[in-house]
Amino acid sequence: MQGSQQLEEYLLAQLAAGERTATEQIYKQHYPVVTKWIQHNGGSEADAADVYQEAIVVLYEKSQDEAFRLSCKIGTYLFAISKHLWYKKANKRQQDPVSLPDDDRQEWAYEDDVNAHKERENYYSQLNAALEQIGEPCKSLLKAFYHEDKSMQEIASGFGYTNTDNAKTQKYKCLARLRKIFHNVQVK
Amino acid sequence: MPGTATEDIPQRTGKITEVNMMTEHSMMEVAERYIAGSLSQDELNTLKDKLAADLSFANEFGECVNMLRGLQSSGAQKRFTSMLKDIAAQEAKPATKARTITLRAFYVRTAGIAAGIAMLTSLTTYWAIQHSNKKIASQYSLLKRDLEKYQRSQNQLINNIKEQATAPQAEVRYTGTGFALSNDGYLVTNYHVTAGADSVYIQNREGRYFKAYTVGYDQQADIAILKVEDKMFRFGKGEVPYTFAPNKRKLGTKIYTLGFPQDEIVYNEGYISAINGYQGDSSQYRLEISAYPGQSGAPILDANGNVLAMITGKEEESDGTTFAVSSKALARLVQSLPKDANLRLPKSNKLNHLSLEQQIEKLEYYTCSIKVYKK
Repeated sequence: MQGSQQLEEYLLAQLAAGERTATEQIYKQHYPVVTKWIQHNGGSEADAADVYQEAIVVLYEKSQDEAFRLSCKIGTYLFAISKHLWYKKANKRQQDPVSLPDDDRQEWAYEDDVNAHKERENYYSQLNAALEQIGEPCKSLLKAFYHEDKSMQEIASGFGYTNTDNAKTQKYKCLARLRKIFHNVQVK
Repeated sequence: MPGTATEDIPQRTGKITEVNMMTEHSMMEVAERYIAGSLSQDELNTLKDKLAADLSFANEFGECVNMLRGLQSSGAQKRFTSMLKDIAAQEAKPATKARTITLRAFYVRTAGIAAGIAMLTSLTTYWAIQHSNKKIASQYSLLKRDLEKYQRSQNQLINNIKEQATAPQAEVRYTGTGFALSNDGYLVTNYHVTAGADSVYIQNREGRYFKAYTVGYDQQADIAILKVEDKMFRFGKGEVPYTFAPNKRKLGTKIYTLGFPQDEIVYNEGYISAINGYQGDSSQYRLEISAYPGQSGAPILDANGNVLAMITGKEEESDGTTFAVSSKALARLVQSLPKDANLRLPKSNKLNHLSLEQQIEKLEYYTCSIKVYKK
């Protein structure tokens, strides 16, 4: 048991770092149980895959917090989060409202994580909306740096700046501009 | 406490004024460094004073920090999500199907390719010949090194049961060179190195063996793309450090190569002597660089760490004339692979600012010896 806990911690640390192999392993390991459950509860195959992917993203977000320790197995966590996500989704579609059966009550403990996830998604989408409005070259530059994880060196040569410092100055100007737009977006 | 604060003021006023005059973009810079933890203790103190003293500044600064954190984490999440989608897409299809088809076709050797290669001296080492070779001068040390390596790999076998199971049993028949296309185990070598093989192993920098299989090949261009079976296998610590030149380079470009004409990695340098290769083949370069058996499949790089080509053969009668298939032909083959192979050529060059010695040091991790077994 000790060994398997160590493995889970290792896998989680790798997932937190965005490492593919570990993510793939986690994905494969719990896919059948979770997706089967969703399909038994009125979801299509595509719904099941979507919800399951989102649950892994929730796990990823949680894992970004260094203080984070999973109090249960990865599989248990993914299953519980998937259930929540699926109920939210199903209720939104305004089919027959479904709710978590009583015997699953203890899993409501994870609802906070799901709500935090939804809030974060909302915040990110506002940020992205601001990013879409900012205009060029800022939009491409910031996307290259934050989304594509390019180094300032690569960006400098890619965008034709004479040196990295110039590109950095431009980046800070863009960020200042983004902040103004973002602020307006948030107010709306 | 107030006493100490007043004492500090004369010393810090300069810096505080600096903060006062902070333009919005330098505030971003400070916020960025604050998040990265790269502010000096002095700067941090100044900042804390300022935050405590100036509420509107504190609000603005907080906004900057939050926005930057948001950008960073949303970017990381975006990358994670797209990787996840990729994994999902890959899992949705059974991956083994394409692989078996490729392998089956791969064993069909046509007379055409055999004839084509016979005109050139193949640079694949025939193992038996190397061992009965009369170049005794370096032979002794070679054997000695082999023995040491054998002992070392014995120890590793004990440590690693999985590896023990996959360690090659039979004797190596041919060797060539290969180099990484992606850190997770895709690599490239010559088609003629692996053609007709019963099994193919690569031997990495540490002397460990890993089984590999063919995922695709181009007979005419003499390229084969392999994948290491072990999913946990990695060539090095990070992504592949070199990029692949999209177009042909000019006549006279200085080039170098790393390969395995013997068990030890060997460096060599030269230049592009003609833009087209053997009998005017436009998918190849003609190079002036010495190459020896075992160097088939070795990468040809320019001074900036761009892969220009891969050695395929040499002119029989000459010492230095070598032919190499261009990276363009290689990119074409990569593109033609099934999507679920999920192989993309490295896009960022981490070698271009390094000295040659440093480049080679990094490259050693991504270059490997290829051992081919045939009955």
